[in-house]
Formats: sequence, C-alpha cells, structure tokens
Amino acid sequence: MSWKTPTDVFRYVCARPRGFSLAFRLTAWYTTSSFLLVAAATALLYFGLAANLKRLSERLLADELDVCRALVHERAGDSHALREEAEIDSAIRKYEKFYVRVIGERGAALATTEGMDEELSAARVARAAAENQGRVFWLESPGGTPYRVLVAAVPTGIGNRAWTLQVAVELAQENEVLGRYRMWVWAVLCAAAFFCPAVGYVIARRGTAPLRQVADTARHVSSSSLSQRIQSGGYPSEIAALADTFNAMLARLEESFARLSRFSADIAHELRTPVNNIRGESEVALAKARTAAEYHDALESCLEEAVRLSGLIESLLFLARSESPGDHLKRESLDVGALVSDVRDYYEAAASEAGVALEVQCGPNVSGHADRALLQRALGNLVQNALSHTPPGGAIRLAARRSGERLEIEIADTGTGISPGALPHVFDRFFRADPARARIAGGTGLGLAIVRQIVFLHRGDIQIASELGQGTTISITLPAAEPQIKPQPAPC
Amino acid sequence: MKLLVVEDDLKTASFLKRGFAEAGFVVDTAADGPAALRALQSAAFDLIVLDLMLPGMDGLHILTWLRESGVASSVLILTARDSVEDRVTGLELGADDYLVKPFAFAELLARARSILRRPQTREPAILRVGDLELDLAAHRAARAGRRLELTAREFLLLALLVRKQGEVLTRTMIAQSVWDMNFSGDTNVVDVSVRRLRGKMDDPFPRKLLRTIRGVGYVLENPD
Repeated sequence: MSWKTPTDVFRYVCARPRGFSLAFRLTAWYTTSSFLLVAAATALLYFGLAANLKRLSERLLADELDVCRALVHERAGDSHALREEAEIDSAIRKYEKFYVRVIGERGAALATTEGMDEELSAARVARAAAENQGRVFWLESPGGTPYRVLVAAVPTGIGNRAWTLQVAVELAQENEVLGRYRMWVWAVLCAAAFFCPAVGYVIARRGTAPLRQVADTARHVSSSSLSQRIQSGGYPSEIAALADTFNAMLARLEESFARLSRFSADIAHELRTPVNNIRGESEVALAKARTAAEYHDALESCLEEAVRLSGLIESLLFLARSESPGDHLKRESLDVGALVSDVRDYYEAAASEAGVALEVQCGPNVSGHADRALLQRALGNLVQNALSHTPPGGAIRLAARRSGERLEIEIADTGTGISPGALPHVFDRFFRADPARARIAGGTGLGLAIVRQIVFLHRGDIQIASELGQGTTISITLPAAEPQIKPQPAPC
Repeated sequence: MKLLVVEDDLKTASFLKRGFAEAGFVVDTAADGPAALRALQSAAFDLIVLDLMLPGMDGLHILTWLRESGVASSVLILTARDSVEDRVTGLELGADDYLVKPFAFAELLARARSILRRPQTREPAILRVGDLELDLAAHRAARAGRRLELTAREFLLLALLVRKQGEVLTRTMIAQSVWDMNFSGDTNVVDVSVRRLRGKMDDPFPRKLLRTIRGVGYVLENPD
C-alpha cells in the first residue's frame, strides 16, 4: 500500500504546529490512497475483461466469414449449402444468436439465416457497412438487441464476380457477463470504502502510539523529575532517533540542573567560611574588655575575611556576567609577546621567592586581537595556579606563538600534576584537586573556571594535559584575527 | 573640602562619614534622593559620593538634575550595579569616577583625592620622605645618603609609594600602576615585591618608613 514514511509525516507535522491529529491525517492518506488503488485495479480488470470478450466475438465473426468465404468460393452455385451453413451455425448456438446473409452481385439476398431480416435488414447493414468500411461494427436491432456485425466482399470463383457476406453476432451474452462483473466492482468498491478508513485508522493509531508515549514522558518531565527517560528499545528507527535525541536533551538538562544546584550549594558553602570567621572573630572580641592592640588585631582579621569575600563575589559576578548573552569583549589588537612578559614581570618576584624559574618563550611579532584585560587575567590565573602547584626547584614555561589564524599560548609547569580522575573537573567552579591545601593558599577555586570562561568568550579552545609528579601543561588556542561573527554566549 | 555622601544604607553612610572626616573632609550625608536635593540646594559641595540605588529617586536622576541645574561639584558614583551599561550611563551623565561595591575604603579615598586634586604644579625632580631621596629623572634612589640598588620595577613601586606618601595603597592599585595588571589575583604577588623593596630600603635602617596595613595594603610615610 502506498504509505508516507514517518519522516515525511514528521516534517509535515512540524511544519504545521497545530491542526488535525497525526492519526487523522495518516488515516485520511491511507484511506484515499488505498481506495484509489482498489478502484484503479477493479477498473483495469473490468476493461480488460470487456476487451477480451470483444476480441473473442470478433474472432467468431472472422471464423464464420472464412467458412462462408470458402463455401462461396468453392461452391458458388450451391445456394443450398450456403443456406444450410447459415442455418446450422445459428441453430447450434442457443445463447449467442448468429446470423449470416449472402448477397449476390445484383444486390439480392441469396441466403439468409432465419430471423435475420427482422433483426437486421440487408439495407441497414449495407448502409452501416459503407460508413465503417470493412471494420467490425456495432448495430442495434429495431427491438434494441445489440449486434456485432462484419461485412465483406467475397470472390465467387466464377469469373470475377464477387458476392457480399453479412455476418452478425448477438451481444446479449457479453453484456450480461459485463453487467454482472460491474455489480461485483461496485460491491468491492463499497467494501473498500468501508474497510480502508477502518484499517487505516487502526494502522495509524498503532503507528503513532510510540509518539504518544514520547509525548507522555515529555509531559511528565519537570525540574524535579529530570531523571525520566524514554525507553528507546522496540520503537521504529525514526521514533527511536527522536527518543534518543530527547533523552540526550534530558541528560544535558539534568546535568545543567545538577551543576546549577551544586553551584548554589558551593557558593553557600564558600560564603559560609569567611562569614563565620567574621562573626566569630567579632563575637569573641566583644565578649570581654580587651586592649587596643587586641581590638586592632580582631578588626584586621575581619577585614581580611571581608576582602576574601569581596574577591569571591567579584569572581562570581564575573562568571555570571560572562555567561549572559551579549558581547563582553573589548577586543583590541595587541602585542601578545609584551603581554606575556608583563605577566612574567608581575609574577617574577613571587616565583623567585618560591624557588621556581619562570621562563618566557615567545617569537617576535606575536600579535592578536583579544581583550587585553581579560587575557592578562587568564594568563595571570594560570601562572598563579602553576606557582602554587610547583615545588621549589621547578620551572614554569610560558610560550606564545602565532600559527596562521590561530594564537597559541601554552603554560607548562614541572609541578605536582593532577590525577587523571580530577583532570576533567579542573575547570569546574569551586573544584579543588586538594581542598585542604588550596584553602590555605587562599584560592577561591574559581581561577581556572574564569580562565576557561575567558577563552570561551574569545571563541577559543583550552586543553589540559597532566601527569602526576611530572607537571601540567595547559594549551590555549584563540582566533587571532578580528571575528566576523558576533560572539555567542559561551556554553556554561 | 566639603563632601556630600548620598547613601541609603545607614552603616555604609556612617563609615563613609567617619572615614572621610578622619581624612580631613567636611562631610554631610543624605539618605535618599529628596534629602540629597535639599542638601545640594542649600550648600555647595566639592565632591558628591553618590549611591545609584536610592529610595525615592534613582541616583542617575540626581546626577541628571545636578548637571541640568549647572552644579559644578564633582561626582563619584558608588554602587553595587556594575554592568558595563551602568558604568557607561553614569560616566556619560557626567560622573567623574565610578567605584563598585564592595570596595576598599583606601581606594575610595585615593580616587576622591585624585578627583579633587588641583592641577599639579610641576613635580619636583627629587622627592623626599624622611631621609629617603628619590631622583625621578636619574632613576636613582638613596637613603641616608647611601645609594639603593633597585630593579626597574622596584623603582617604579617606590616612586608610586613616595608620590602617594601618607595614602594607603591597596594591592590592586599597586598592581595596576606598577605592572599594568588589571586584576589583583589571589596570592601575595604584590606582597613579595613589597617585601623585597622593603629589604633594600627599610630593613637596613632603624627608622621604618613603609608600613603594612593589614587587609588593605601599604603606606609610605615619615613616622615623625
């Protein structure tokens, strides 16, 4: 049966957001196409049958004509034989009446099957034959009985005299067969008109059942039940693909929600420590009278915590802002070599204090188009991170080069490295490979998240490779030229 | 110098008033828009420290009113809103500077002073703090007559401290003006540099000029 593929159906449904149900459409298409097919098949069979019957009766006429022609030719004078032939032939056919008439050269009928003159007069047949010129034609008796008629001239074998033969066969039988057949055709069409919609509806319901299940699942998904999935087994491939896509989307949503709620929890946790310190310090300081030096000390401690809080808030706001849509970059063309050596200068004292060598490898004329302050901040965070993880005697290498349209910046240290398990998370907010140690060092756990965000804002890419005990290498690739397209919000 | 603090949070207003008063300013406060307008109509101020989110009247409206009525006071905007659009709007409306909460009071003070500073008379070629001498042209520093061997950055750092003697400089301000870094970072990078400088210009001498203000930054001043 002709059947639209579900993909077509989908496209159709997607193109029109509202309207008849899919099952209704499928049923309509199915009904129309299958009914047309049944109608075409029965019509074809009917016309085939009619053509066959016509050919059979034409052959009959031709056969009879041949017999009479032979008789006329062999025994031209034997009118008795002719009459016999005409009459016997007619007599043995009970249902299909058959007439023969032989007309002499002068126009007089030499032999005529009995009853033919009443049905088809010689003059009418001759007139009709003149119109049809030797072809088989169709003629009705005055009583309304249809006949198929063939008229031909036959040589007599005496001199070159020729007689005319008129052969006719009654069509009542043929018409009756065709009439009965037509009745069957109507019966079949009526049945089809009833069954096609019914079967079509059942098939459409069955075909769209997986869609309804997908929709049901989708309807029950909310932020608290994102773990629901559509079972993708047992569906036709198109629906399975839809279910898989839907499941993948759910997985991403669930991951985002989980990350968001983890993030909120992390923020609360990170805020808790400094707030608790300020509160505790003040409470203890106020519990009894103290010397000015002691008050001074308590206030300073509170101030330190407040500064730490400010830093945390600034970093969080930076991340939140950079994730909101819009162009946050103030791109300018800049000398990356100079920027890298500025960063080296800034950290040089801290590095030599920590006993770590800070090297810069930068070819001449490394330039690019980037936000200067942000790039500085990203590199600064990376150097700072490397410094806090590299033991004395180690080295940090900062390299920048231009490779075609890409700007490549690499920062490698000989530090403690990151375990493979922690590696995928180092760019997550508040992730710390060693929580206890990082907090003592005063980090907020946002440094690398900010670096990644800055790289994403520049539509760049950041990679990290690390080996425990060997060191860590972070590679940043940025588009060096001014972008033609407006940057999209960075993925979170 | 007369200063108006327009700030609805009482605690903030109170510490701003005390802080500025101790730094030698005469300070009035206003807690909302109408009060600010009344104060501005009754007296002239050199500087207005303006919070943007105020009950009754938005800070930006006050700013617009100020500029339309031709008040010549300088304006320093103080706000928790720090989107780029907010900053641009504020500066376009004629504010002189913009500081985002939370801020270091030392930085606010420094900015207020820099707004109010009169056109400088030419800076002397040799700056002095106590027995410390700084020859800016020759890039030479000496203390008690003894020449100090400083790196280029250490000289820049010392020059900054000497120029702003008596003012507390935050780590962010130092990182910005000495290294052109627009972020302070989390570690004690500035501290290390200051410690090294101190090792050369302060440690060998009995009288200490460079003082650490815990939680804020550094100040260079003659202890006498």
